[in-house]
Amino acid sequence: MASSQVVKVLIVDDDVVTRRIYRTMLLRFGFEITEAGDGKSAVSQFLIGNEYDLILMDNDMPGMNGVEATRTLRGMGILAKIIAITADANSRGALLDAGADEFLLKPVNFTMLTVILKAFNFLN
Amino acid sequence: MASAPLKAQLTDLLNSMFAMDFLDEQFKELQMLEEASGPGFLAEVVTLFCGDAERIIFQLSVLINEPVVDFGKVDANVHQLKGSSSSVGAKRVALVCVKFRNVCLENDKEGCIVALHEIRHEFDELHKKFQTMLQLEQQIRVLDSK
Repeated sequence: MASSQVVKVLIVDDDVVTRRIYRTMLLRFGFEITEAGDGKSAVSQFLIGNEYDLILMDNDMPGMNGVEATRTLRGMGILAKIIAITADANSRGALLDAGADEFLLKPVNFTMLTVILKAFNFLN
Repeated sequence: MASAPLKAQLTDLLNSMFAMDFLDEQFKELQMLEEASGPGFLAEVVTLFCGDAERIIFQLSVLINEPVVDFGKVDANVHQLKGSSSSVGAKRVALVCVKFRNVCLENDKEGCIVALHEIRHEFDELHKKFQTMLQLEQQIRVLDSK
């Protein structure tokens, strides 16, 4: 985990509506939220020294997609849990192979997300 | 309570939107999130979605009217609209986006023009209902606060 006790989450999705929904879901747990609109911005967060415990990663984004961003982050030694969230079931294998820890199909519901957060021990 | 007739009107509106497939289960998810996180969340998400959809639909009309259509860019925009409409539970808009992507894959300009009209129509219908919903919610809040 990042040094603070608060769970730090990076939401990576090019859709502002989706990011807003995830933000509301996660704020219920008191998490600290940062948003990125594409894979390159997500990687930049780590390059400037920020730390996160959890990443919600979309796949189909302009520029660097979720597979590339996940592979890059793992290559940098980033150990944060990555939940890949995408509407394309066919990208599941590629995302998990790139290093994602879990895969969810859009649209995400709160119950599904909670189950995974519990499994990752982010919830007491 | 003074707001009772308006609440009944709002319930009827939402029930009809679900019955006519303007909305699906994902919207109920957002309603549950609002109950937990406080008023304003749904209004914010709906407003965000409508603004984003307007922007994308305008962009699509520009792209499709180019002498040489960049179907890749068209598809990217439709994909984005499909994503946001699915996230808010805008079922009919999302379904038309699926049809649109199929004609994009075939590089079918005429098909794209037809699909764009359909998206415009579906979004306009949904937008009107969302506006009514938000107005009713606002009026209810004002009456309940008195």
